[in-house]
Amino acid sequence: MEFQSLVGIVPWTFIAMICNLFLQMYLIKKFLFKPVNDMLAKRKAMADAEISDAAKAKEEAIAMKNEYEQNMQDAKAKANELLQNAQKTATLQSEEILREASAQATALKAKAESDIEQEKRKAVNDIKNEIGGMALEIAGKVIEREIGENDHTKLIDEFIANVGEDA
Amino acid sequence: MAIDVSGARVFFTIPIDFPLLGKIQISETILVSWLVMLIITGFCIWLTHDLKVENISKRQALAEMLVETANNFVIGNMGEKFRYMIPFVAALFVTSAVSNLISLIGLRSPTADLSTEAAWAVIVFIMITREKIKAGGFGGYLKGFTQPIPVMTPFNILSELATPISMACRHFGNILSGIVINALIYAALALASSALLGLIPGAVGAVLSHIPILDVGIPAVLSVYFDWFSGLMQAFIFCMLTTLYIANAAEG
Repeated sequence: MEFQSLVGIVPWTFIAMICNLFLQMYLIKKFLFKPVNDMLAKRKAMADAEISDAAKAKEEAIAMKNEYEQNMQDAKAKANELLQNAQKTATLQSEEILREASAQATALKAKAESDIEQEKRKAVNDIKNEIGGMALEIAGKVIEREIGENDHTKLIDEFIANVGEDA
Repeated sequence: MAIDVSGARVFFTIPIDFPLLGKIQISETILVSWLVMLIITGFCIWLTHDLKVENISKRQALAEMLVETANNFVIGNMGEKFRYMIPFVAALFVTSAVSNLISLIGLRSPTADLSTEAAWAVIVFIMITREKIKAGGFGGYLKGFTQPIPVMTPFNILSELATPISMACRHFGNILSGIVINALIYAALALASSALLGLIPGAVGAVLSHIPILDVGIPAVLSVYFDWFSGLMQAFIFCMLTTLYIANAAEG
């Protein structure tokens, strides 16, 4: 078996080792650095995407919150407006109702008064008619018989008594 | 007892004599370095199959950790603009480390051959020079040798050449010294056990003294330093120097 010298440079070994080192560099790059770096880049991209997603979500949440607050304010303002309107309407309506009621009351009162007046007039007319009728009756009775002074007085009393009864 | 520490075994020689380069010899260094490459590439493929973005496995966590460590090491030492150097430095480190540690399974480390370290150091030297020329232009690069005074030019050239030589020899020397010391320790322990068991009288002692019983276990303790610590340390130092020299060169 042949041996090379212990300390010495063998040209072909020298060249082979240079080639081996560069080949090893290429292999290590291809099989270790490239896959791991690719994976790390992918992970970084994913993390970046997640962060930007989170930022977007936050922005959206803030926008939603603002919108919600705006809506709440609008709603409050609207409610206030509605309340005021309702109060105003209620006041107007109550005034209207009161006015109507008083007008009705006045009308009713006037009608009642006129009714009373009419009734009164009717009653007076009735009495007048009765009195007329009685006078006619009395006249008829007087004509029927001779009326003495006594009779006369008696007649008048009777009449008054009748009136009193009728009235 | 003879102790023999030899160079890389030659398995196969292609009998074509190239001028200057000589015959192509397929040595232990080359074969084991192919095995090292297979191991590293297989490990990378195993690490990165079935990668997920979420809910990762321990295997994937390890892969990510290794990539992150390499990124931090290179960018921390050299700056962001040398991002393209990451695979090179990672390949250098892992090839060196696995080559050093493969001696644990009884194979001869490719790094126990000066050709290997020389090859790596020359590549690094070329990169350093390229960065220097890129930073100051070719004229600036040449003029750099005459700084601070023209008399210094030979020393500057020497110190420039010393960079790859020292890098290669530092790494090689550490691994070779590990091999030599390992061989010495094995031989010494075999002698010691033979002497110890030889004390047993009669035929039993004569037979037992041929079994190097002390070689079991004790060298493993020493290999913690000479293989594990030294091996990983040299790989780390080589990469550290590579990144620092190249980053320095780019600064001008």
